[in-house]
Amino acid sequence: MTREFSEPILHVDMDAFFVEVERLHDSSLKGRPVVVGGSGARGVVAAASYEARAYGVHSAMPMIEARRRCPQAVVVPPSHGRYGEVSKQVFDIFRSFTPKVEGLSVDEAFLDVAGLRLHYDTPVDVAESIRGRIRSDLDLPASVGIAANKFLAKLASEEAKPDGLFRVAAGSELDFLHPLPVRRLWGVGEATYAALEALGVRTVGDLAATPENLVSQRVGSAVGRHLLELAHGRDPRPVEGGAGAKSISAEATYGQDLVSDEAIERAVLRHCDRLSARLRRQGYAGRTITVKLRFGDFTTVTRSETVPVAIEHTSDLWDVARALLAKIDHGGRGVRLLGVGAGNLVAGSDPRQLSMEHPGRDAAAEAAEQVRARFGDDAVVPARLVDTPPNPTRGGEEGPSM
Amino acid sequence: MRIRAERDDLADVLARAGRAVGTRSPLPILQGVLCEVEGSRLRVTGTDTDITIRTTLEVEALEDGRTVIPAKLAAEAVRKLPAGAVSMTAADGEVEITGNGPRFRLRELNVDDFPKLPEGSEGVSLSVDGASFTSALSQVGVAASGDEARPTLTGVLFEGEGDTMRLVATDSYRLAVRDMPDIAGTEPTLVPFRALRELGRALGEGAMDVVLGDRDANFATDRGSLSVRIIEANFPNYRQLLPESYPNRLVVSKTSLLDAVGRASLVAEDHIPVRLNLHDGGIELSVTRQEVGEETEHIEAEYQGEELTIAFNTRYLTDGVSAVASDEIVLETSDPLKPGLISGVNDEAFRYLLMPVRL
Repeated sequence: MTREFSEPILHVDMDAFFVEVERLHDSSLKGRPVVVGGSGARGVVAAASYEARAYGVHSAMPMIEARRRCPQAVVVPPSHGRYGEVSKQVFDIFRSFTPKVEGLSVDEAFLDVAGLRLHYDTPVDVAESIRGRIRSDLDLPASVGIAANKFLAKLASEEAKPDGLFRVAAGSELDFLHPLPVRRLWGVGEATYAALEALGVRTVGDLAATPENLVSQRVGSAVGRHLLELAHGRDPRPVEGGAGAKSISAEATYGQDLVSDEAIERAVLRHCDRLSARLRRQGYAGRTITVKLRFGDFTTVTRSETVPVAIEHTSDLWDVARALLAKIDHGGRGVRLLGVGAGNLVAGSDPRQLSMEHPGRDAAAEAAEQVRARFGDDAVVPARLVDTPPNPTRGGEEGPSM
Repeated sequence: MRIRAERDDLADVLARAGRAVGTRSPLPILQGVLCEVEGSRLRVTGTDTDITIRTTLEVEALEDGRTVIPAKLAAEAVRKLPAGAVSMTAADGEVEITGNGPRFRLRELNVDDFPKLPEGSEGVSLSVDGASFTSALSQVGVAASGDEARPTLTGVLFEGEGDTMRLVATDSYRLAVRDMPDIAGTEPTLVPFRALRELGRALGEGAMDVVLGDRDANFATDRGSLSVRIIEANFPNYRQLLPESYPNRLVVSKTSLLDAVGRASLVAEDHIPVRLNLHDGGIELSVTRQEVGEETEHIEAEYQGEELTIAFNTRYLTDGVSAVASDEIVLETSDPLKPGLISGVNDEAFRYLLMPVRL
């Protein structure tokens, strides 16, 4: 009776997570439009209930706009400690099903449930069981997408919402995928969409039917190839979790060597910001921070530092990376490759030493992450990096990731 | 330069000045101490250019002069000579150290390379009791950061609270505040704890003069002086972190709590917190490390407030509790995600604010 699951990948996404957690603590919020976010002049929506979404409110929208669209909404300031606590309980439930859990943020994860084939008849049964546990133990709604790979599972969970499940049956992937608007190919920026629309590409099916050289001409060959793979429903990436990653880094090779201290510092800051986004997305923080420089003459220098408490915020990574950079004498040689990495990783759901600094910073980073998830890594950057042209990269090291 | 002195006295002034000498200085000259003889006085200076320690000794001076000798080696050489009188002579690029038979001839460092250092500085001058001052510094110093990437957090803030002196340090995970009602307050001055830690051993614990200047802080006793470049940065605004009152208050014996956390630390690693469940009957302490095991125990304590479970880093908790002078400590809390305040029963002078670990 040993047969494989044809769709072993689950994407579990909690429905309006922050809102639902707030509702657990204040039942008067049930059934009403609720918006979680900062209420100040520059507050941003971190999460909106489905009742509020009906009025066009969505996350990352300025709070002022949200209030205008839905004046009757109850605005609740984010209580991030509470979200972290509940998130840990949610992930504990995931891990009670399979060790292969790859967190994307506090409220969503990929699960590889191939190993459960002897215990459940179908992956849909696994998904129902997980949803049932989250409902009975935590009284929270969750949606599950079920598919053969991560990319499709993630799209499927959007179809499943709210509080449902959706399976993309093996063999019918393209029937599901091709009618979708091309914008649903997640993680690609506005400029890419515009370029595709200029080609007359509206749906994923249109894209799949477009020759690769035409797409590559418009969006570059690395991005083009990647998009076409997705448009054909192909995504070979495994669920990375369990024993998991040893280190996470952000690096780039420059078409033109960086020479000035200013250019090098800005590049390091940019990488700290990207690294921060990657760490948060995968639910990690790192204790050992490494800065790597390769010079025009191909000599490579790395410096690393281990800090007492694991960090993942841009400003913390930057503090350490800047001090490491100061220890490297580039002696006027141009920098060809530059990277910032975090090792000694600690799962975000592990116990965390809290700091007195930067109250409210988690909320800001969370909001930035929502924007990045939609518009790509460079949609939100530290102020110092505003107005820099995009990175001239050579090689595919910074290829798009979903 | 030529002197004679008692072995133990000479070894002592060389070693104390040598405490300022860095172990990995990039400049060879900074591995040395400057010895200057004038009249019947030997003055020894060691520096890493941020911290300078000067010590003096009455000696039998046979010839005035100056030399720079390797700090660690010379101090050890003198210390290992037989007891009794030792003579030290600098001539022709060598320093000879002899006493009761053994003879060291050590290569001299170029005296002209030794950095020119400011002699003392102007500023507010205070007289303090060395013993209580250094013990207050070690109480707050546990909270100072060792992370040179964040210089502001490696210092101890000297400032006025009302009319009197307050010392403050924080590494952003904990904050220690020590009020010194017997000493007048000053303008806020941030002094590296790395230097303050040396005060007791470098200068002894007698009456101490403290001068806080714009660029340097100076500390002097009859045994010598230490000066250090102050940190030019604004200390975080810590006052807003100290709430007026807390809803929950626990009183527990300092030794019982320290012993219990010590046992828990056997199981915990640095990043694994100890959980304290606080309730009417006392504390239920527990620590769990997945791949190792666990430890649990009950600690008798008086508690007023709502039942609460809060977790702390074991080392940070031990640091704070150990720094309290009283036999009984008070732990005040409001919320598992907000800082707890540790102090001594009937002791308002020292407070230690500790951020919890989120479970």
